[in-house]
Amino acid sequence: MASIPADVQKFIEQCVALTGFCEFDLHATGMGQTYLETARDQVGSARFEEFLKTLAQREGTLVKPKDLDSTDREIARAVVYLWYTGAWPRLAETAHTELRPNETNTEFVVSAGSYVEGLVWHTFNGHPVGARPPGFGTWSVRPAEPPSICQITKECGLSQKHEEGHSDGVEAAVLARLRHPGPLTARHVPPSVVPAARAPRQEGDPR
Amino acid sequence: MTVERTGEQVHQGRYDAVIVGAGWSGSLLAKNLSERGWTVLLLEAGEGGTQTWDGYLESVATFRSAVAKVPNSAYHRNVLAPSPDVLDLSPRPSTGNGTPPYTAHGYFVQNGAHPYRTDYVRALGGAGMHWLGAVPRMHPEDFATKTRFGYGRDWPITAADLQPFYAAAERELGVAGNTKEQRELGVITDHDYVYPMHEVPTSHIDEHCRKIDGATITDGMGVERELRVTGLPQARNSTPNPGYDSKKGYRPKGAVGLPNYGERCVGNASCVPICPVQAKSSPLRLQHASNDKVTLATRSVVTRVLSARGKRVDGVEYRTYTGSGTKAKAGAHHRVKADIVILAGHAIENARLLLHSGLANSSTQVGKNLMDHPTTLAWALADSQVGPYRGPGHTSGWEEFRFGKGREKRSPFRIEISNWGWSWSTGAPMSNVAQALGVGGGKNGRVKDEGLFGPELRWALGDTIGRQLQLQIAVEQPADPRNRVTIAPDRTDAMGNPRPIITYDLHDHVRKGVYAAYIASKGIFKELGAKEMTDHRPVDGVPPLGHFLYDGTDLTYQGAGHGAGTHIMGERPEDSVVDSYQKTHDHPNLYAVGCGSMPSIGTSNPTLTMAALALRSAERIHQDLLALRRKATVGAGLKAAKEKP
Ligand SMILES: Cc1cc2nc3c(=O)[nH]c(=O)nc-3n(C[C@H](O)[C@H](O)[C@H](O)COP(=O)(O)OP(=O)(O)OC[C@H]3O[C@@H](n4cnc5c(N)ncnc54)[C@H](O)[C@@H]3O)c2cc1C
Ligand code: SF4
Repeated sequence: MASIPADVQKFIEQCVALTGFCEFDLHATGMGQTYLETARDQVGSARFEEFLKTLAQREGTLVKPKDLDSTDREIARAVVYLWYTGAWPRLAETAHTELRPNETNTEFVVSAGSYVEGLVWHTFNGHPVGARPPGFGTWSVRPAEPPSICQITKECGLSQKHEEGHSDGVEAAVLARLRHPGPLTARHVPPSVVPAARAPRQEGDPR
Repeated sequence: MTVERTGEQVHQGRYDAVIVGAGWSGSLLAKNLSERGWTVLLLEAGEGGTQTWDGYLESVATFRSAVAKVPNSAYHRNVLAPSPDVLDLSPRPSTGNGTPPYTAHGYFVQNGAHPYRTDYVRALGGAGMHWLGAVPRMHPEDFATKTRFGYGRDWPITAADLQPFYAAAERELGVAGNTKEQRELGVITDHDYVYPMHEVPTSHIDEHCRKIDGATITDGMGVERELRVTGLPQARNSTPNPGYDSKKGYRPKGAVGLPNYGERCVGNASCVPICPVQAKSSPLRLQHASNDKVTLATRSVVTRVLSARGKRVDGVEYRTYTGSGTKAKAGAHHRVKADIVILAGHAIENARLLLHSGLANSSTQVGKNLMDHPTTLAWALADSQVGPYRGPGHTSGWEEFRFGKGREKRSPFRIEISNWGWSWSTGAPMSNVAQALGVGGGKNGRVKDEGLFGPELRWALGDTIGRQLQLQIAVEQPADPRNRVTIAPDRTDAMGNPRPIITYDLHDHVRKGVYAAYIASKGIFKELGAKEMTDHRPVDGVPPLGHFLYDGTDLTYQGAGHGAGTHIMGERPEDSVVDSYQKTHDHPNLYAVGCGSMPSIGTSNPTLTMAALALRSAERIHQDLLALRRKATVGAGLKAAKEKP
């Protein structure tokens, strides 16, 4: 068996804290090399090396957006989007202007295979739509609960920053910060361009 | 098996029947007529390829690589036989000077107050390749809305007339369903009948919704109904019913090009746009099962119907092309002759061909009465994991608002319980990932401060995507001559054929139906203890596509893919285009078949009814051909007698 190239191995190790998926899961997608190349391609090789260096300083711990400067933060998000969906997203304009002003800033799916390997489906114990069918009648079965934040953190071998045992409070706080997607206002709008969901309209709101 | 030839090879040929379009309608007629011994030529504008397993897999890969997984995403754009695409439409801020709130690029020219949001695909198999496969029958009262409720148009035939043809269509399409439930709904009236296959198992989401069975919901027009989740009949392989056909049973038909495959639905959850295993029924199966009296020529775009002496037609003119997609090159014009010409290109294409040929329009109704099922979406977060993105698009619905009193006030509607989360309404689950991360920047273009990474991200997505509920509520749109298809000499496609010009709007009865449905969805979510997330409001001042206000409430509609009504059926030649057999009133050997013939579409996905009509037409066409042969034989006999010394 061909051994895993060192740069891919390193890249995958660094993606654990960003994605919340353990090394094994990331390897199992078979996409490490492809994603590393895609990211280098999109961001520029030298710039991506710089990004990985910054990230290395935080290795083994959880990453928060404020730990990274704004362009690194956007690169990190794009890399996670790649792992979760198999597609490179549209970037924030400022980050895009800094990184690749001469390329179009638009979402694209890396390949038919990368779509199938998207990790988002695993988050709720699903399967990629249009692939890996679970079998006749499986849609009737009660879905399993996704693992808790604590379990995921442990599984990834990440050091715990927040106090153990208070997962309910932690989870409520995460949900409060979570943004849902809002309406797809036209069918051609790529997922990374869909606006955030808004609070429902209240009596007396301006139209 | 159907014989495949190129358009050039069949040039100057002579057939008993020539059929324009190899979708459901065309393929059903071809198979049926060939089984009765007639020679049939199927001319198909689109490219083939999917009838081989390798070609089919290419389409699956095309779908997987698409950013927007819309109905046409498994097929590449074909410039010489263009298709409308839901990607062609964009919203546009109102300028206040009467410009419509949308722009339309692509194949359709649109000039209506609101966009016609429905697509189809011109490829072998037609829209039967990317359809969902929902096949409910229409209800007896759907056939007489004018008489019973004072809106729309009545049919010249009744549900009772169609019962045997419904049954025949369910055999050809391969339908799985819960016969008892459909009998209770009143759409199946034959007491001994059962569907070929047992119902497709219902989803955990359906189960979740069943907990409010018995709750009373009031819609926005004050119509009250008690809810009960009901399973959906589907053209999708399930467990065969041994009791079918007087206990002869039924053998599911699997994939074309790969034997013994696709005989059960395995839950790929991508029926629209493509079922990777072909457990979902498609016209390819019928083409595969037809005998060699059927000849199929793809890449053959019919340009017009040719007139003969008197009122008869003679055949069709078509143009071939080589190559594919954006690189296709137009070839020569060709002609074929046939005793019977059958247009089966689907509602808009049939109207376009009739208008361009200057035929069948003494009533001036050709192209008019364009219908769809304007569909409003409602979405919410359930209070527990429900298991979205699993199984067929939907396996159950609430049928209570489809029938009975209340129809006189507002269009009725059918509430589909989606198994595919918020994909249609919000672009989920990919858009969930983007929002949770905060990728893409804020309105000012700057990188966002807030967002999730790592274990928090993974958990939050799992927790919330797993709770996505969506309702797709299809509202009946009655025939209205203001909604129409026209053509103009200066609006042509790359081959020089006229493009459809569409004038479309939602009129009062439908708008009331959409509003009524929206209010009903709120009641349902409340009963379910789900957090409503439905949002039809303008975003940054731009109304979303399909937006309108009803009594101050923001609403939107989507297209359902159910184009109908453009060569409407009726008893009287003065106000209808075809008779109940879909024969044009004006020409004794020209038929226009498909949803375009339907005077109303109720709240049932139209293809099953369309298929039943096609099979009913096949009998009549058979009689027509027999009569022509008798005349020819008698004629020849007389001639021979005269010539005898
Ligand atoms: C996304 C989507 C989902 C749907 N889901 C459902 C559902 O669940 N249930 C349901 O009942 N209905 C559904 N429908 C509708 C259904 O697909 C159509 O009613 C049905 O396929 C129409 O069949 P048809 O044969 O009349 O037309 P089509 O399927 O459109 O076939 C017409 C054929 O004619 C060919 N053609 C057109 N013009 C020419 C020409 N000039 N020369 C030669 N050939 C030509 C086309 O290429 C095509 O192959 C759906 C539609 C869409 C878009
Ligand atoms: S659920 Fe999957 S296997 Fe079943 S019909 Fe749909 S796409 Fe095919």
